[in-house]
Amino acid sequence: MRKILLVLFLLIPVLMFATGQKETEMATVHFWYHFDNPESAVNPLVAKFQKENPNIQIIPERIAWNVYNQKLLTAIAAGNPPDVSQVKLWWQPQLVEMGALYPLDDYIKNWPGRDDIYDRIWKLTKYTDGKQYLMPLQMVILYMYYRADWFNELGLKPAKTRDEFLQVAKKLTRDTNGDGTIDVYGFGIRGARGGHDFWGTFVLSSGARFFDEKGNPGLTTPKAIAANQWFIDLYRVHKVSPPTTPNDGFKEIIANMKSGKTAMTIHHIGSSKGMVEALGDKISAAPVPKGTERYWTSFGDEENGVFAASKYKDAAFKWVSFLATAENNAIWQKASGQVSINKSNAMTPEAQSNRFLKATTDSADFAAVLPALPATAEFVESLWPTLMQRAFNGEISSKEMMEKIQELFTKK
Amino acid sequence: MSELKTNRLFPYALISPAIVVTVVIIFIPIIQTSVMSLFNYVIWKPKDNKFVGFSNYMKAFRDPVFWISIKNTLIWIIGTVFLQLILGFITALLLNQQFWWRGIARSLILIPWVTPSVITALMWRWMYDGNSGVINDLLVRMGILKEYFPWLANTSTALPAIMVALMWQGFPFFAIMILAGLQAIPRTLYEAAEVDGATSLQKFTRITLPMLVPILFTSILLRIIWVANSVDVIYVMTGGGPGYATHTLPVYSFIRAYKALDFGYASTLAILLTILLVIFVAFYVVKVLHSREEF
Repeated sequence: MRKILLVLFLLIPVLMFATGQKETEMATVHFWYHFDNPESAVNPLVAKFQKENPNIQIIPERIAWNVYNQKLLTAIAAGNPPDVSQVKLWWQPQLVEMGALYPLDDYIKNWPGRDDIYDRIWKLTKYTDGKQYLMPLQMVILYMYYRADWFNELGLKPAKTRDEFLQVAKKLTRDTNGDGTIDVYGFGIRGARGGHDFWGTFVLSSGARFFDEKGNPGLTTPKAIAANQWFIDLYRVHKVSPPTTPNDGFKEIIANMKSGKTAMTIHHIGSSKGMVEALGDKISAAPVPKGTERYWTSFGDEENGVFAASKYKDAAFKWVSFLATAENNAIWQKASGQVSINKSNAMTPEAQSNRFLKATTDSADFAAVLPALPATAEFVESLWPTLMQRAFNGEISSKEMMEKIQELFTKK
Repeated sequence: MSELKTNRLFPYALISPAIVVTVVIIFIPIIQTSVMSLFNYVIWKPKDNKFVGFSNYMKAFRDPVFWISIKNTLIWIIGTVFLQLILGFITALLLNQQFWWRGIARSLILIPWVTPSVITALMWRWMYDGNSGVINDLLVRMGILKEYFPWLANTSTALPAIMVALMWQGFPFFAIMILAGLQAIPRTLYEAAEVDGATSLQKFTRITLPMLVPILFTSILLRIIWVANSVDVIYVMTGGGPGYATHTLPVYSFIRAYKALDFGYASTLAILLTILLVIFVAFYVVKVLHSREEF
């Protein structure tokens, strides 16, 4: 008996780490995505795809957005990426640097759906080495949400310029219940991660550039530092944003708009459904104001990448191209609340009468992306939020902040 | 296999699963972390990964954020453990009294301890909320504050605010441990002191405290280690911000690893935290053992 037990105990550690793999003839495509309600879009699309392609099995895996980037990169480093993953454009430099993405040019060349995707999207998503690694999936362009009812009450119009914007934000910052304290703030700024889009709208439009046309860094010029100071002053001097600004993330800026704590904020059409549910006709949207030199707003995007390590690249491409065709893409966007990449989907009467879609398309000409450099991910994920919070709290100057950002982008 | 040999191997066989698990999930990662700390290992730069010796350690000593994190870590450990100890001690003394709902009270004070850290962090984050938090609401109603204050967005208040949240979460541990210690003190000691005419204060300082030293020693040691390694509550409440205001060493290491994906430097910070903790604990152990000899 003891001998049997001995053998069993010695076998336990071995068994604990033993795994079995089942061979299958079916092409299996592991698909990572971030989406709150898989039932609403992903599952029906997977079912539809598998019906059309019985030899391909799609295994969708939902990954939480706040850990998506780190999970993807660590999975790649560990040699175990999915076959297809939803990705952001600013991740592309890192993914290419890692040799993780498979170029799709040969597939796309022969794909009939190619011409139904906006040319500007193809242009923006092409990598600097001239290759097309990503298949477009959805797009958004950031615009200004504003409380139409309060604008009417105060006789205001959406600001066209930076100076007008400050005046409007000041007028909207007020004590509405007469208790002697401010209870509505003109502008909800996102000071935590993701707020670089707000910063870009006012700083990159007013003299600051990551790099100029000649490739010289341009974040520490007097104009750039002044533009950053102007943005910091919205919180520190003019106090047109809530005291919680340095820590406010996506949830806070949206909750503040919905609860009537703020009168304007910047986000995209993805949040319009929730805004309308909370505020009805009181909420509207307009393009962001122009800076001292130009307009700048963020082109938000999602693409699908096929990974070089995938055993089933043909099947993976079939899946990503399936999602990029007009009919399927429309189903996807209905659930995501974002904008289709297909020209044919923009022509529907429903799309034409949507005020949020109008603000999106009105901003299309000047929507821009961050530099296609590996440093961009660190800028977005950790450097910008830390520096911005320190600047908002008066720990560092505008100059110090801009120097640190430039240092990251020019570091060899 | 002889009977004797089987008997000798049997205990090892019994503990082998535990040893394998410990080696695989603790020892191997520790060795890997130590090795990784000697490499330039940024996940998305596989071509630049190379051995750099102690460069990461030198970099840490020159890094101002490292020193800010060290300072915050010390404030965090000493402040939080001290606050938990004081509140736990008072609670234990109260729970040691006779009152009819003592049993219920003893169960209730465990609630913060059994609440998962993430829930604790989310709960306190909303309580501190600068726009609709209940703490601000109460303070304004009581006239202590004129208007809502952004506790977690302000550099000076963010760390103390999280320390209060962790005090709430951790004090039941001290309360229960100290209560157990109090109940183990023989009544006869107090009776003898009373016969000798000792005051309540004298009974507390001459009997209660010395008898509790072993329990306090172990509890404080355990809490120092747990609190020093704590990332979850800070990360959920402020993400290490605003700026570097709530960067403790483990939080900084986590951010370097999972935001900048710089695993080499993050490993260095983790190793330095371990060294710091070993020094801190060794100092504490020597100090306490020394003072125990004096009792």
